[in-house]
Amino acid sequence: MKFPLLCNFALAAWFANSSVVVAREVDFEKEIKPFLEAKCLGCHNPNVAKGKLSFATAEEVFGESELVIPGKALASDLYLVSTPEEPGEQPYMPEEGEYLTAAEAELLRKWIDEGATWPEGLVLHETSKADKTWWAYQPLHRVESWSEVESGISHPVDDFLNERLNGVGLEMNGPADRRELIRRATYDLTGLPPTPGEAEAFVNDESPDAYRQLIDRLLASPHYGERWGRHWLDVVRFGESVGFERNTIIDNLWPFRDYVIESINADKPFDQFIREHLAGDVIGKDDPDIEIGSAFLVAGPYDNVNNQDAVQKAQIRANTLDEMISATGQAFLGMTVGCARCHDHKFDPISQKDYYQLYATFSGVRHGARVVATAEQKQTRAATLKPLNDRKADLEKERHRLEKLILARVGAKKSEYETRWQRPAVDRTGTEEVFPAVKARHLRLTCESRDDNPAATSGFRIDEFEIWSVDGVPRNVALASEGATASGPAREIEDFPNAYGPQHAIDGKAGARFISTGNYLSIELAEVTTIDRVVFSSARGEETPEHRKFVFPADYRIEVSLDGEVWTEVANGRDRKPVSDAHRDTRWKKEETSPDEAEQLVELTRQINELNRQAGLVPALPTVWVGTRVAKDAEGPFHIHIGGSPQKQGEAVVPASLSTLSEVAPTYELKADADEAARRLQLAEWITDPGNPLAARVLANRLWHYHFGTGIVDTPNDFGYMGGRPSHPELLEFLAIQLIDSGWRLKDMHRLIMTSNAYQQSSEWREEAALVDGDSRLLWRFPPRRLSAEEIRDTILAVSGKLDKSMGGKGFRLFHYMQDNVSTYVPLDEHGPETYRRAVYHQNARASVVDLMTDFDQPDCAFSAPERTETTTPLQALTMLNHQFTVDMAAALAKRVQDRGGDPVESLYDLVLQRKPTDQERERVVGALGSIGLEAVCRAVLNSSELIYLD
Amino acid sequence: MSVDLHLPRRQFLGNVTSGLVGVGLTQLMSRDLLAAGTSTGQPHFPAKAKRVLQIFCPGAASHMDLWEHKPMLEKMHGQPLPGEENMISFQGKNGPLMRSPWKFSPAGESGKMWSSMLPHMAKHVDDIAFFHGMQSKTNTHGPGCVFVNTGHATEGHPSAGAWISYALGSLTDELPTYVAIPDIRGEPPNGKANWSNGYLPAKYQAIMMAAHQPIRNIERPEGIGASTEAKTRELLRFMNEQHAAFRPEESELQARMSAYELAGRMQMSAPEVSDFSSEPTRVHKMYGTDSSNELKAAYARNCLLSRRLLERGVRYVNLYCSSRASGVDGLLNWDAHKTLKSDYERHFPIFDQPTAALLTDLKESGMLEDTLVLWTTEFGRMPTRQVGTAGRDHNPDGFTLWMMGAGVKGGTSYGATDDFGRRAEVDPTTIWDFYSTVLHLLGLDYEKLSYYHNGIDQRLTDVHGGVIRDVLA
Repeated sequence: MKFPLLCNFALAAWFANSSVVVAREVDFEKEIKPFLEAKCLGCHNPNVAKGKLSFATAEEVFGESELVIPGKALASDLYLVSTPEEPGEQPYMPEEGEYLTAAEAELLRKWIDEGATWPEGLVLHETSKADKTWWAYQPLHRVESWSEVESGISHPVDDFLNERLNGVGLEMNGPADRRELIRRATYDLTGLPPTPGEAEAFVNDESPDAYRQLIDRLLASPHYGERWGRHWLDVVRFGESVGFERNTIIDNLWPFRDYVIESINADKPFDQFIREHLAGDVIGKDDPDIEIGSAFLVAGPYDNVNNQDAVQKAQIRANTLDEMISATGQAFLGMTVGCARCHDHKFDPISQKDYYQLYATFSGVRHGARVVATAEQKQTRAATLKPLNDRKADLEKERHRLEKLILARVGAKKSEYETRWQRPAVDRTGTEEVFPAVKARHLRLTCESRDDNPAATSGFRIDEFEIWSVDGVPRNVALASEGATASGPAREIEDFPNAYGPQHAIDGKAGARFISTGNYLSIELAEVTTIDRVVFSSARGEETPEHRKFVFPADYRIEVSLDGEVWTEVANGRDRKPVSDAHRDTRWKKEETSPDEAEQLVELTRQINELNRQAGLVPALPTVWVGTRVAKDAEGPFHIHIGGSPQKQGEAVVPASLSTLSEVAPTYELKADADEAARRLQLAEWITDPGNPLAARVLANRLWHYHFGTGIVDTPNDFGYMGGRPSHPELLEFLAIQLIDSGWRLKDMHRLIMTSNAYQQSSEWREEAALVDGDSRLLWRFPPRRLSAEEIRDTILAVSGKLDKSMGGKGFRLFHYMQDNVSTYVPLDEHGPETYRRAVYHQNARASVVDLMTDFDQPDCAFSAPERTETTTPLQALTMLNHQFTVDMAAALAKRVQDRGGDPVESLYDLVLQRKPTDQERERVVGALGSIGLEAVCRAVLNSSELIYLD
Repeated sequence: MSVDLHLPRRQFLGNVTSGLVGVGLTQLMSRDLLAAGTSTGQPHFPAKAKRVLQIFCPGAASHMDLWEHKPMLEKMHGQPLPGEENMISFQGKNGPLMRSPWKFSPAGESGKMWSSMLPHMAKHVDDIAFFHGMQSKTNTHGPGCVFVNTGHATEGHPSAGAWISYALGSLTDELPTYVAIPDIRGEPPNGKANWSNGYLPAKYQAIMMAAHQPIRNIERPEGIGASTEAKTRELLRFMNEQHAAFRPEESELQARMSAYELAGRMQMSAPEVSDFSSEPTRVHKMYGTDSSNELKAAYARNCLLSRRLLERGVRYVNLYCSSRASGVDGLLNWDAHKTLKSDYERHFPIFDQPTAALLTDLKESGMLEDTLVLWTTEFGRMPTRQVGTAGRDHNPDGFTLWMMGAGVKGGTSYGATDDFGRRAEVDPTTIWDFYSTVLHLLGLDYEKLSYYHNGIDQRLTDVHGGVIRDVLA
């Protein structure tokens, strides 16, 4: 019953086989190929090659491995291992799956004995479990009974459902009560609770079209787009950090989130919406509102570490494209195309070639941000900047001329300078300065130029700085163990204090270094001491001191002080040889510039800085994370990667439609050098072609899934063999066709679904029905649900009167973001008012864990999330009870109750649950108000199950 | 007639093929939802190990400087690596071969050559089974860590701890099932993806805690007294009971009430587990919690915390020694690109004594008999020096992991890299094989432990794996 297609197929094969005990020659293609592909190629194909054997081509079968020796079946391994040695025994192969039938074995023997003819060039492919006749790949079809269901007497949706229900002797519940219904519909369409006023009005509205009006009002609310936009953002794995090692936050992908919300609010035809996702930059060139849609391509994670290893680099690029291919297949087609990366899809009719055709299609896309603006915006900005830039270029030219003039004067004086610079240049492994004995409490090293860049004075490193005393046995008094302390601005890592701090310079150990962010290191001794020598280094004992890791001062001075206020210079490096020509030029310039020239240079620099400032005031063009398009990357040629390895190229491929649907949808094949934009546009058009049944079916199913909690197909991203089967196949067809007929507009679909009795029925549980259909897949009751993470947070804010309903723009953060080469996300202990917006505006970073949001199953956006799980954990309880957010909201709610006046218990229940308390509840709450006060009562109510469960 | 015609595929697989999804659900109902008794998920066959301690040294701890002695590097120090004279790896060009800066000498009865920088760990050499022929798919830290923790180099998949929590459930009602203990220096590369539940339900993610970092939101909010708290919870219980009473069939509502009870018990137990005052001075000294090296003392406290968590019934502890690749590599973790000697002479002392003490402690208390200990890192390092440096670049082609404890044959060295340590040569081993073996020791069949997600019955070992029987006792 479960896999009727396969059963029929097997049956047909059996008939075919049983009729071949005749003398005519065996037809390889018709009689041998099918069972080899079904039973052997799964393991023995070029990609998997189990036992290092593949049976895909004649070369492999007759070549070195001698699997088949024509004319001698009984000497051919292929025959011997797949047939039993003794009757009744099990053959050696296949290890998994079904053995050859006796008829197949006989055919195989006969074929080999007859000379094993293999048609020229024929290549065998592993058979997938489902083929092109799989239900999901069939054209959309109108069901006969539609004329009846469309007659308007009953609701078509209910008719389909009732047919199944009646078949198992069940019927739907009666209607839900009015409060239940308005809560259900309001959450469903907006993700928010109804206000007490809205609930009351609806409960008391007896007009026959009250419910229709409610739906219309909710669909017109801008919050509708926020709720349904969030659903879609799950599907398209929208996340605002790059993931992988660096996981850098992305601050300019939020326009895509706004684009999704706005498009859904505007009821943009969904086929258009899909085309914009894949090729918005093509069809909407210079129209930012459309161009932004193509950020879909790069809304997923990717590895942005700059890998130098060529093999790894190719692999990473392949992974990046794989991510786009998988996301596309799942979101729009309900196909797990990604499974065909390393081999033909094992379950669905998706070949490796199909996969690499998409690879070629997306090959021009790279992650990143770029300007997304209208042509007019771009022109205006360029026109404003031009005079500023022209003037700046003139000034820079003048400055350069002056500097050249100064250097030119050095000429004859070169040797004079060289006699002044006699001491050896600084040494990173140890630089010493000896000076006349002096009493000091403080000593300071000031960097005047860094040894890798004469213009820089900060960023130098010190692994140890010694200060030697004179009296008695000289010792290093700079050591921390001698009571000295070191100070100086240092590079910081937020979550690891003093990682590069000045204490490293006086710890008596090399290895760890002080990294300056200022121009000095200062050491305070335990007491006033007579000193006469310092030694400092950045690469003590290191084998490769020249490495940039050990950047060191090149020009410096050393000063001492008794009080830390008045400083006396005791040594400097100005008579050392310069470490490089650039350092030499800098010194020359300093010495040769006249006061007049110095003044001129200062003035020129001032003017240039002023122009820079003015240029900075011209508003920048908006940049958005829509990715870049690189024609060169798309040049190809592209090949199948055997076994998924970019190093093993197979057959060449071009951008083309998927063969899966070749019998039902139009096909296309582009030239290998087709424009990369054309490739994506063509794919977008193919996906949304009316002949392609998948996009509409998959979308209709998603709508159903979000309305009822489970899809007609309960695996919304996978309509293949591994996915679920439709519980109501005809209903799915009906909805998909309605969707297309309505011009791919979702709002009509919501109206259709929500006006059914199925949607309006109560969620009451009935044992006799549950015995037959425990999960209510047949919808004998409306399935109750827990609110999503976003709904829970939004609800708490809404009922506490704190929800900030402003829409769009940059997101808020419930984490603190730290970056030190890689990124760390630390959840916040307090949530300020800037976070009181709807959760859809939270900047969701990958691999970040943010209390309530993560606890209540907001998925990590590493993959497309077609559905939310609902788990119940103690962590949820800890967060809801103890996070400061709950405490703050309890206080806000208490104030709201008080401000409202009247009976606080009544107010509380009205505001939070839109109902009146029962007598028993009133009694308990009144008691609690007396003993623990209103705020504590509010904290309890915000934790109550009723707040986050919907009937 | 029933409606099984439309039973979703995953349920079908759960009931018929794997059987384990069923286990997960039973456990969900029995422990976490209803919190009744201490029943747990059932293994597929009798298990040797009940719980796991996974120690992770992020940054790619160098196999030939820690665990796999390479005398050839001493002989050929300064000469080019034969056949790969112009190798370009993760950070770029490589120079000549570079010997380990430290001496190796025989240790234990097995006489395995042992680094002078791991004197405390030396006493465990005969209990360890080394996997010297490990290979990774990636040469990048983040994906590498995630690969070694989840069996997949792309993030978003469940970690081994999540899989095992999912399969076997909890051993305690008072503490989390799965705990990740980050280092005081921060999170490992790729952060929380390393202990993620991936597409498994959120309940299977690790709870983060450390001696320096309590479980989030474990403490009652400031200003709310014990009596107010008790009465608040009483009122809440009343409300939730009322709500549930009208919906007796909704097991989630019962589960939610149980979750609040469980949270209450965790609030009692968690501070106790992190309070080391009851530990004798001898124990503190053994671990090194009193060290003047603050980083060592911090890691030692996390080692002690690990033992206390494991003995109180935590199923899986994922303990980190060091953190991410910092801006200045080699400082925060084992990523010694430029200055191997000085970097590792900071890392060795932090790792050696506390880890050895933890293992000794587990052994002396008898816990090692049913505790499986894993030592992991994301990949190895090159036998060559990076051009112009005294450090080693990333090497995914050969490295060492090890395991010891329950069901493991100590004193074993399985697999090996070539003479230089460049590539796995003898018995090359994947992380999938490693975890197949881990699951086997836990009584789980790596091919049966699966979960449907986006078109595939996903597994910890991907579509690969094989139990390495040579290391089984």
